Amino acid sequence: MNGNVDDLIDKKIDNIIKENNIYHTGKVTKINNFIIEATGLEEVFFFEKVYVKDEENVGYIDKITEDKVVIALVKMNGNIRVGDPITASGEVLQVSFSKNSIGMVIDPFGNDKMSGKKFNDSKLINIETPNIPIMDRSAVNRPLETGIAAIDLMYPIGKGQRQLIIGDKKTGKTQICLDTIVNQKGKNVICIYVAIGKTKKDLKRLYTKLTEKQTNSYTHIVATFNDDPVPLLKLTPYVAISIAQEYMNEGYDVLVCIDDLRKHADACREIALISEKNTGRDAYPADIFYIHSRMLEKGCQHRCGGSITILPIVETKAGDITDYISTNIISITDGQIVLSEKLFKKGQKPAIDFGLSVSRLGGAVQTDEVKKIGSTVRRELLSFLETSDVYQLVNIESLSEELQGKIFKGQKLLNLLNQPKYSPFSEEKLIDTFGYVVGLGHSSAVNALLKDIELTQRIEDDGTNNNPPSTPPSSSSIPQTTPPPVNESQDASNTKALSSEVVEQTSNPIIQESTINQPQVPSQIVETPVNQPTNVPVVEQKVSSTPPTNNIDGNGDSNEENKEDHTIEELMNDDEIEFNFL
Amino acid sequence: MIGTVIAISDLNVKVLLNKPDCVIVGDILTIDYMNQQHKFEVMEVNGNIAKTIPFDSVIYLKKGLPVNLNNSKLSMEYSENALGRVFDSYGRVIDNKEFTSIKQRGVYDRNVALSEINIQSDILWTGIKVIDFFSPIQKGSKLGLLGGAGVGKTVIIKELINNIFKKFQSNSVFIGVGERSREGKELYDEMVETNLLDKISIVFGQMGDNATSRSKAVYSGLTVAEYLRDEKKQDVLLFIDNIYRFVQAKSEISAELGRSPIENGYPTTMVSDVSEVEERINSTSEGSITSFQAIYIPADDYTDEAVQTITGHLDGQIVLDRSVAEKGIYPAINVFKTTSVLVDPEYIGQRHFELIEQALKYLTRYEELEEIIVVLGLDELSEEDKKIFYRSRKLRNYFSQPMFVAEQYTGMKGQLVNIEDTLDDVENILYGKYDDVDESNFMFIGSMKNAK
Repeated sequence: MNGNVDDLIDKKIDNIIKENNIYHTGKVTKINNFIIEATGLEEVFFFEKVYVKDEENVGYIDKITEDKVVIALVKMNGNIRVGDPITASGEVLQVSFSKNSIGMVIDPFGNDKMSGKKFNDSKLINIETPNIPIMDRSAVNRPLETGIAAIDLMYPIGKGQRQLIIGDKKTGKTQICLDTIVNQKGKNVICIYVAIGKTKKDLKRLYTKLTEKQTNSYTHIVATFNDDPVPLLKLTPYVAISIAQEYMNEGYDVLVCIDDLRKHADACREIALISEKNTGRDAYPADIFYIHSRMLEKGCQHRCGGSITILPIVETKAGDITDYISTNIISITDGQIVLSEKLFKKGQKPAIDFGLSVSRLGGAVQTDEVKKIGSTVRRELLSFLETSDVYQLVNIESLSEELQGKIFKGQKLLNLLNQPKYSPFSEEKLIDTFGYVVGLGHSSAVNALLKDIELTQRIEDDGTNNNPPSTPPSSSSIPQTTPPPVNESQDASNTKALSSEVVEQTSNPIIQESTINQPQVPSQIVETPVNQPTNVPVVEQKVSSTPPTNNIDGNGDSNEENKEDHTIEELMNDDEIEFNFL
Repeated sequence: MIGTVIAISDLNVKVLLNKPDCVIVGDILTIDYMNQQHKFEVMEVNGNIAKTIPFDSVIYLKKGLPVNLNNSKLSMEYSENALGRVFDSYGRVIDNKEFTSIKQRGVYDRNVALSEINIQSDILWTGIKVIDFFSPIQKGSKLGLLGGAGVGKTVIIKELINNIFKKFQSNSVFIGVGERSREGKELYDEMVETNLLDKISIVFGQMGDNATSRSKAVYSGLTVAEYLRDEKKQDVLLFIDNIYRFVQAKSEISAELGRSPIENGYPTTMVSDVSEVEERINSTSEGSITSFQAIYIPADDYTDEAVQTITGHLDGQIVLDRSVAEKGIYPAINVFKTTSVLVDPEYIGQRHFELIEQALKYLTRYEELEEIIVVLGLDELSEEDKKIFYRSRKLRNYFSQPMFVAEQYTGMKGQLVNIEDTLDDVENILYGKYDDVDESNFMFIGSMKNAK
C-alpha cells in the first residue's frame, strides 16, 4: 500500500519537473515600486539573478523568508502584474565589463550608455567581493598629484588613499575630481568616474569636458541617472570598485571618483524603507555605515603593486559637515577636503576650508621637499586665519611686528593658493612658489612671482625667514613681474585680453627655469612638457568661452591684486578689507 | 545534521531545528556548501526555529541546506602563543604565519567578582601635557578618548601606545573594532619595525568586515587580556579603537533580527551589552588591565545615547573637539569636558589641583572674552581681562604638543613632557612670568625648559 503511494508521488513529481519546473519559477504576489515579493522559487540562493515576466525585468534576491522571497529590481519596464512568472537564472547577479569601454559612458551592466550596445569582449565580474585582507595591504606612500596647490601641499592624496570631498551644492566638488583626472594624463593611472543619480544633462556636460581634455584614453565613466531603478543606484559604486579591483590586481594604479555618496545613502534609505526594514538615525538603514565602509575599504595600496585611490563626494546642506552621513564617511576616509560656499562666493577657488580639511596620511605621501614646505604653509596659514579671526577689529598697526608679519605672509599665501580650474601646479612649481614665501625656497625663479618688493622686505624683516633666498636679482625681474598666474584668470571676465597674455608670460619662464634647476626628479621632467602645452591654451580657452561663470569671482578684492605698484599703506588697506571679511 | 535553513537575509539566517532543545544561544552552527564552511552563531531560539548571525557573506546560501552543530562555542587562544600574533574576531590567525594552539577558552567565559576588584594604584603619566594635566590616569583604570569623525582619536591612541607601551614594555592587547584596515596594517608594521610585536597581541574586526565580526572582536581581545592578567599576573595595557563600533555593530544585528530599536536605532540591549564588556575590563589584586578606549561621537552629538552609556563606565575621559582642531591646535582637546576621577587633591596634590582650577577659570573667561572681542574689539577690555586674554591664549597654545606618531604630517619631532615641567610652565604662564613672550612661541613645543 505504502509503496504504491510513494510510486504515485514520485511519478507525479517527475511529471511536474518535466512539464513545469516549479522549483525554479515563482509568481509575483506583491509589487511596491522596485521591490517585488514572490512565492515559489524554493531553490533560489541569496543574491541570485532572476527575471520577472521577461528579460526586460531583472532583479536579485534580497531576502528569503519562510514563505516568500523579496526581489529588488535593477532593470524594469514597469509592466509587472501580480501573478506574473519569475524565472531563476541559477547565477549570482554579476555585471559584464570590457576594457574597451574606456573613454565611454557605461551603465553598471557594462553597456555603452550612449548607444545602449554591448561590448563583445566583455567578461563577467562580481559586484560584491570579499574584503581585502589586512595583510595584503601595504603602506600608502606614493603621491597622487591632483595639480591643485592647496591639496598637494597641505592635504596630499596618496595612491591607495580615500580622501573625501565634501561641501554644499555648487562649491566645486566635482571640479576637484575633474582637475585630478585631467592631471593624471600620462601618469599611468586608470581613472573611473562614477556618477550616481546625476541628471543626464550634467553627465553629458561632464563627458564633453573630459573628452575635450583628452582624458578618454585612461578614463571610464560608470553612470546611473536619477531615473534609473533605485537598487541599481545602490549597486553602481560597488560595480565601479569591482572594475577598479580588476585593474588593481593587474598592477595598475586606479583613481575612482564617486559622485556622490549622499545620493547613494538616500537610495539605500529608499530601498530599506520600502522593504520595511528597521531603521536607525535619520531613517537611514541600520547598516548604512557598513554599506559605505565595505565599499571604501577596498581603496588601498595592494601588496601586488596596484592601488585604488578613492575620492568620494558628499553633498552637505548649509555647510554642515556634522550630519550623520557626512560624519560616517569622514570616519571611514583618510581625510577630507571641505569646500565652503562662503569662500567660494568670496572668490577663493578652490573654496577649501583650511581649518576643517585634513589628510590623515599627510607628509607620508609627499616628497621630502614638498612635505617640509607643505607643513609650514599649513601651520602658518591656519595660525594666520585664527589670528585674523580674533584680531579682526584691532588696528593692524598696533599689533606686534611678529603678528603683522604673520598676517602679511598669511594673506600672501592665501592669494597664491587661489587657482583657476585646469591649470595644474607641477611639483617643481609648487616648491618654487611656496618654498619662497615660507622661506624654504632656493630657486631664483620665484622672483617672477613676487609682485611687490615691500612685501618681500617685510617678510625678511620680521626675522622668521631664516633662509633668505637670492633676493637681490629681484630688482631686475620686477619690470616683468606681474601678478601670480593663479590670480589672473580670477579676473578673467574683467580683463580678458590682459590675463591670457599674462598667464603665458609668467608661467612659461617658470617652467623652463625649473626644469633646468631641478633635474633630480627625472619623471617630472618628462611630465612638464606634457602638461605645459595643454595648460596655456586651456586658460585661454576658459577666458574666451566661459566668462559668465566667472562673473562672481571678479569682485573687488581680487581686482586689487592686478595693480602693480602697491605702497605698503595700500597693501595694509587691502588686507584690512580681507580681514573684515574673514 | 541538526536542522535546515529556512530563511536568509544579510545578517540573519533562520534554521528549522529537528529538536527544539538541540541548541542554546551562543552555539556555533556550520553549513558545508560549495567547498566552503559557513559559520553562524545562535542568537535566539524560538520553539524549533533558531535565529543565527553569519560570520561571513551569505551570498549563494539557499533554503534547505543542512546545518550542523559545531563542538565548541566561539573561543580564543588562551596562552602565550597569542602574543606577537594577529587574529580576526573569531580567533583565527590572519598574519599568514604558522600557528600552534596550546589552549583555547570560550570568549564569554569570564567575569570579575566584586571581591576581586582592586582600586589602589599609582598614577600613570603619559608624557602628553594636556592629558597629564587635566586628566591624569591611574594604572588599572579606564580612559576614554571621545571625538567626532576625524579629530584625531586614533593619533592619540597611537601616541599612547608609543609613550606608555614602548616605555613600560608590558604585554599589551590591541583591539581594532570597525576602524580602518589601513591603520591596522600600519600599527602591525610599526610593531614589527620597533621589535615590539612579540609583546602585543592584536585582534581585528575592521570596518570592511560584517557586523558579526565587528561585534565579536572585543570579546576575543578581552580573552587574551584576561589570560595575561589572570594567568601571567601582569599589568596589561588594553587599547580599543573603537568601542563605539561595537555598539554600532550590535545595532545592525538587532535591526536585522527584527528587534525594536531604542533612540537612533540603537539596540534594545545596548546598556546590558556595554556593561557586559566593560565590567570585564577591571583590575584584580593579581594583575591589572589599564584600558584606553577610543569612542566615536556620531554626528558630533555628544549627548548620543551610546556615547553616554559608554562614558558612564570610564574613570577618566578626554574629549576631542572639532572647533579646536579647526584652529590647528593638536591634540584638539576640549579641556572643559575632559575629566578624571583623580582630579582631587588627595590623589594629585594640592598644587596640581589648584593649577587646574586656575587654568579652567582663565580659559572659561577667555571663551567669554572671545565673544566680547568680536563685538567690541580688544582695546575695550579692562587691564585685568587683557591679561587673562593674552595668558589664556598662551596657555591654550602651550597645550598643543608635537606627537611622535604624527611626525609625518607635522614634520615636527615628538616631545615627552614630565608632569613637573608641565606644572611649572602652567604656573609661570598663569602668574605672568612669560607675559613678554609672544604667544606663537608656545605653539607645538614640549616644555618651556627645552624650548629655550
